[in-house]
Amino acid sequence: MTTLINKPVSAPGKSIIERLNLFTALALGAISAFVVWRLALQFLPQDADGVRILTREDKITLLSMIAWFVGFMTGIGALIGPFRWVMGKDLSHDENMFLAGKDMGAKRYFRYTTDHKVVGIQYLVITTLIFFLGGSMAMLIRTNLGHAGGGWLHPQAYNSIVGTHGILMIVGTIIMITGPFGNFIMPIMIGARDMAFPRLNALSFWLIVAAAVPLIWGQFIGGISTGWVAYNPLASQAPLGMDGYIMFICIFAISTMVVGANITTTVVRMRAKGMTWNRTPIFIYGTVASVALALPAFPVFFLSQILSAFDRALGTTFYNTAGGGSGWLYENLFWIMGHPEVYVILIPSVAALMEMAPVFTRRPLFSFNVAIMGIAGISGLSALVWAHHMYMAGWAPLLNAPFMITTELISIPTGMLFLVLVGTLWRGRLWMTMPLMSIFALLWNFMIGGVTGIYLSDVPADAFLHGSMYVTAHFHYTLMGAGLTGALASLVYWFPKMTGRMFDKKLSWISFWMVQIGFNVAFIGMFMVGLAGQPRRVEAYAPTFNTGNLVTTIGAYTIMAGMLVLLHGVISSWRNGVIAPMNPWQAKTLEWTVPFPIPLENFDVLPTVSSDPYGYGKAKP
Amino acid sequence: MSDVMTPKTPQWWKKPDVKKTAILWVICTAVIGFVGVAFHVRSMVRPASETMASVINLMRIFTWAAAPVAGLVAAMCITVLTSGRHYGNNPPAEADHEIRNSPRTVAAWVTISGILCLFALVVGMIVLQKDSQAVLDKSAIQVNVTGQQWVWNFDYANGARSQDLYLPVNKPVVFHVTSVDVMHSFWIVQMGIKINANPGYITETAVTPDKIGVFDIRCAELCGILHSYMQTKVHVVSQADYDAWLASQAATEAKA
Repeated sequence: MTTLINKPVSAPGKSIIERLNLFTALALGAISAFVVWRLALQFLPQDADGVRILTREDKITLLSMIAWFVGFMTGIGALIGPFRWVMGKDLSHDENMFLAGKDMGAKRYFRYTTDHKVVGIQYLVITTLIFFLGGSMAMLIRTNLGHAGGGWLHPQAYNSIVGTHGILMIVGTIIMITGPFGNFIMPIMIGARDMAFPRLNALSFWLIVAAAVPLIWGQFIGGISTGWVAYNPLASQAPLGMDGYIMFICIFAISTMVVGANITTTVVRMRAKGMTWNRTPIFIYGTVASVALALPAFPVFFLSQILSAFDRALGTTFYNTAGGGSGWLYENLFWIMGHPEVYVILIPSVAALMEMAPVFTRRPLFSFNVAIMGIAGISGLSALVWAHHMYMAGWAPLLNAPFMITTELISIPTGMLFLVLVGTLWRGRLWMTMPLMSIFALLWNFMIGGVTGIYLSDVPADAFLHGSMYVTAHFHYTLMGAGLTGALASLVYWFPKMTGRMFDKKLSWISFWMVQIGFNVAFIGMFMVGLAGQPRRVEAYAPTFNTGNLVTTIGAYTIMAGMLVLLHGVISSWRNGVIAPMNPWQAKTLEWTVPFPIPLENFDVLPTVSSDPYGYGKAKP
Repeated sequence: MSDVMTPKTPQWWKKPDVKKTAILWVICTAVIGFVGVAFHVRSMVRPASETMASVINLMRIFTWAAAPVAGLVAAMCITVLTSGRHYGNNPPAEADHEIRNSPRTVAAWVTISGILCLFALVVGMIVLQKDSQAVLDKSAIQVNVTGQQWVWNFDYANGARSQDLYLPVNKPVVFHVTSVDVMHSFWIVQMGIKINANPGYITETAVTPDKIGVFDIRCAELCGILHSYMQTKVHVVSQADYDAWLASQAATEAKA
């Protein structure tokens, strides 16, 4: 940056930006929340007798949560840049270097650090935490469903666990690729020194931390007893925990929009010299498609929750039929976000495996153009299919047929992704590693998830299947069987670049087989009970569903064991794994050309690119 | 694989790995089709209406339509996995060809997936058309269904009310479904029909039960604490039994 006048740089240790970190943020957030809560308790008028809905408690809760959010973001230092700018003094070079975490060691992971590699690691840690929490809830659910009849959890607690598991896993899977790998790997892969907007990058991460607290807070004031979709009018009669959900979604949606703007700009503007669109790695396409799809989707999610908050706290009736609103409005808003969102999760996973396929088969990616067509086709169509979640809503029976058409059309671009993966494997030389086997696992799981998706997209079949465990099994096959498989493969594949050490081979294999076998056992059992007529989100079921549920529970415990092995693998390999060479997989993308530890701005001299990264295999004589 | 460098390259369909894949394709398709259909049909409830029977039939058709595609992917994966795996810390030699694209393969793949997609659509549309016309049947028995946390109430044309549904066999029925509090979903499991119950709106669905017996009604939309217990039964009886029940129920209702 250019400074016209050399302003005196504040002495080290004095500037406020050097004092702010996670702990000041937590403290300021907690204090603000407490102060606002106390003030609101004091001054907010009591609800008048005889009003239809009591809203004072919701007002107090929401205000406290907003205060937490503002306090936390101020305490972490998110406002320093804008504040200085408004005052006409931009940050000095040294301060920018400080923000980037120059020479700071481990401390930078607890600050508003702008270096994309730090943000990538932060995302990796928080994704792991989210999966750990969400996974623990899955285990509670499966344990509760171990036998017929009511479980040992109170129904309200059970519903809340189901809802929290759902929303945690959705958020975890949304950020699992674009967070850790989109931030750490992507800029290096395109030959950039950092993201286009480094401060927005830090903002996107700390917004997720700020969002997490209201969700956890909500668990102690009634929980999310509505399932992760939080349909109205059930949500408007839900306890105060619902306000935690609303705040969580609003803040998370902002984070997603920020990521979308940042990653898209970075890829469009900052690719290395010579990296034309035809030479840009397919993983980049996947990442951009994912965040670009989230850009229009998440504002709608944000909006849907704002209206929900209004209904709860201010007594408006957007979703209340008695006051002229409609629950169908909420359903529409929710699924206009909700269907693109599943492709936000899936596309980067498939793209990451496409990136690995040439490396582990030692041959070029088959049909790069078809891969892009597939990604583009899915992205485009995914905006037009939302009402297939509402076939049985009764909202507009005449629209069922058109939505059935758009939904089934998605099978064509999805088929293209299969073609690219299978075509790349065909006659390749298989280098048997966990990421390679993940491609086969994805093909298997995604095939089952995709074909069952066709059954569900068919309106008459959906009249039987909708709302049953069959749906639950179907989307676990796509989001977990396909999506998460790609993310775990990415972890093992990019682990050497992110940590400087190889991921323990044996542990990666053990966890791979445990997770994949456990997964298929668990969800085949769930398909069975769904077909036999067990509804979703029930805490008690008839004895006829015993076998299938038992199978699912056994499978779930196997997944848990496999995941713990993986976690052990991450920790042990990170601490004392084999030191990785610069390019352990002998891949041709740019991220493998930088040494470890990666210097602050990645490249001394920015690279130039003269071919795509898939030039494996001997050319024809 | 090894014959690529022979002076005269055989036509592609004569290459050993293609032949192997072709055989595997047939086997995989058959296995996936039979296992898939058996899994679905055996797991599913026995149908108590033509609607449900046609749902089971659709699953059968879709599974067989998907089987060749899944079978091809499986066959190619097996062929690849059984020829030349490489273990070790260093990559294997690079593949001995550099095929980056095959327009013919892509065209064939997209055409076939397009045709299969169209087929699934047409089959689905035919059934959908039939199901949606059933709702318009004016001569059908009309039953009003009201969901509330956490019971179902049924109102019949002659003023009878009940919390267990009674229907005569082989007579078309139209349900007018609504709710008094939150959203529920009215699902007669063995008859393969479902429609949400929304407060303030009436939604409709129709069915013709074709078996005498007792079947399950479950709520299929999370509706609060006791959602799991929001279940009841439908008793499908002969016309005579139905008339008798209806009359006695209406009399009880009138007295109350």
